Amino acid sequence: MVTIAALVFLFAPLLIVILFSFHSTNSLSLPFEGFSTRWYREVLSDRSVRSGLEVSLKIALLTAAVTFVFGTAAAYGVSRTMSRLKGFYAALFVIPIAMPALILGIALLSFFSDRGIRLSTMTVVIAHTVFVMPFFYVIAQTALNRIEVAQLEAAADLGAAPFYRFRHVILPKVLPVLLGGAAMSFVISFDEFVVTYFVIGNESTLPLVIFSRLRRTIDPSINAISSLLLFVNLALWLAALIYSLRLQRRRRLDALAQTEDIV
Amino acid sequence: MSDNIAKRASRVSLLVATPSAAGMLAFFFLPIVIVGIYGFQTGELFQVGEPWTLDNFHSALTLSVNHTMAWNSVVTGVLTATIAVGIGLPIAYWLHFSAGRWAIPVVSLIIASMFAGYLVRIYAWRTVLGSRGVVNSSLESLGLIEEPLQYLIFSRTAVIIAELHLLLPFAVIILYAAVRPIRPDFLEAAEDLGAGPWTRWTRVILPLVAAPLASAWLFVFIVSSSDFVTPQFLGGLKGQLIGTQINRYFREAGDYGKGAALAMTMIVFYGLVFAVIQFALRRLKLQRVDWD
Repeated sequence: MVTIAALVFLFAPLLIVILFSFHSTNSLSLPFEGFSTRWYREVLSDRSVRSGLEVSLKIALLTAAVTFVFGTAAAYGVSRTMSRLKGFYAALFVIPIAMPALILGIALLSFFSDRGIRLSTMTVVIAHTVFVMPFFYVIAQTALNRIEVAQLEAAADLGAAPFYRFRHVILPKVLPVLLGGAAMSFVISFDEFVVTYFVIGNESTLPLVIFSRLRRTIDPSINAISSLLLFVNLALWLAALIYSLRLQRRRRLDALAQTEDIV
Repeated sequence: MSDNIAKRASRVSLLVATPSAAGMLAFFFLPIVIVGIYGFQTGELFQVGEPWTLDNFHSALTLSVNHTMAWNSVVTGVLTATIAVGIGLPIAYWLHFSAGRWAIPVVSLIIASMFAGYLVRIYAWRTVLGSRGVVNSSLESLGLIEEPLQYLIFSRTAVIIAELHLLLPFAVIILYAAVRPIRPDFLEAAEDLGAGPWTRWTRVILPLVAAPLASAWLFVFIVSSSDFVTPQFLGGLKGQLIGTQINRYFREAGDYGKGAALAMTMIVFYGLVFAVIQFALRRLKLQRVDWD
C-alpha cells in the first residue's frame, strides 16, 4: 500500500509534465484541450536550448572522463596501499559526500575569485568532478574490495607485474562497475544546477536555461524540455540496465559452464 | 624479500592515488578553508578585504531574518527527513521480505524516478500545486471550491512535498541496502521466542538498521534544509530557507564576508547534528553492524 502510494507520488507529477508537453494550448490546467507537438518543435528549434544542450553535453562528457580517470586511480590506489596515509586519503574522497551543493558552489566561487581564475566551462568541469568524485569513489571502492587478494597473489606468483595485474586481473572484473560510475557521473553533471549556478561564466548549461525560463510565470516550453530530458535519461538508464543484466547472465552462464567442466 | 616487494607495491599504490587526492585538497578542502577565512574579513563588492572582523559572525547569529530562515530550514529538514525515512523503511522492509518477484521492477521504477531532473521536479510541482494548476483547476471544475487554494503553493508544505519527491528515492535505496542482509530466520527465531510484531520491529529490525537509518535521515536532512532553489519557486515568503540568504549574499548583495560567515555557521551546525547522532548511536549501542 505504502509502496503504491509512494510510486504514485513519485510518478504522477512527472506524467503530468509529459502530458502537458503535448498540450495544444499554453494552458497548464485541466481540462486537456487536444494533442500537439508544437512545444517540441518550438524547443528543438530554439537557439538557447540548443546551445545549452551543447554546453551541458560537453561538460558532462568531460566530467565523466575526468572522474573516471582520477576516480579509478584514487579507488585503486587506496584499496591496494598499506600506508598509514590510507585512512587520510580515503577521508579526502569520502567526506565531501556530506557537503551541501550550495556550500561547494560558494566555496569554489570564493576560491576561483580569490585565485583570480576566470569562470568558464573548465571551472564547471572542475566543480562537477569534485561533486561527483565521492559517489564514483564509493562505488569503485566497493567493487575493488570484492576482488580476492589470493587471485592477485596468484597472478604475482606467476610473474605478472603490477600494471599487468591491474590490466588483466583487476580491470576486467571492475570495468563494468567503473563504466557505470562514469555514466552516473555523466547523468549527475548533466542535471547539476546549484554548483553550476555559482561557477559558470558567460555560457549557460541546459539546467540554467530551464532556470531562467522557470522565473517567467508560464512557459509551456519547459514541459517539452523536461520531457525530452526525462526520455533521454530513461533511455540511458534502460541501456545501462539491459547491459548489466546481460552481463550478469553471461557471468552466470560462464560459472555454470565452469561447474559443468568440473563435474 | 617479498616483504620489500609488498612495501614497494603499497607505496606505488599510494602514489597512484596522490594526484586525485591533491585535486580534492586543492578544489574542495582549500576552498572551504578560504570560505572560513572570508568569514573573518570585511565584504566589499563581490570580494573581501581588510579589516579583519567578527561582525560577520555576529550578524549571522543575531539577524532576525537569519533566525527565521534557520528555523524554517530546521523544520523543513526534520520533517522531510523524518517522513522520508518513515515511508522509506516500510517500503524497504516490504521489498525485502514480501515483494518477491515485484522487488526488482519496483526498485527499478524508484531508481528511474531519480532520473527526473532537479529543476524538472520543481517545475512539475508548480504545475500541480499552482493557483491555476492541476489540483486547483480540477477541484474548481468539480465545484468543490470556488477560489483556488492559495496555500497549496508558496508555502513550507509545498517545499517539503517537493523535497520529499526529490529525496524519498534516496532514502528507499539506502534503507533497502540496509535491510537486505537481514535474514528471515532472524524474525522467525524472534517469533519462536515469543516476540510479537512490535517487538520484532523494535528489538530485531531497528537495532540492525539503526546506523544506515541515521545516515539516510542525515543525508535527507542536509540536502533538504540547505536547498535554496526549491524555496525560490515554491516557498513564497514564508517557506524560504537559510540557503536563500547565503545565495543572496553571494549572488546579489556581493557581501562575501557575511555570506561566508553564514555558510560556516551552517557547516558547524551540520557537524554538530552529525556528532549528536553518532553520540546517540554509541550511547544506545547501535553502531553499524558488520555483516561479513
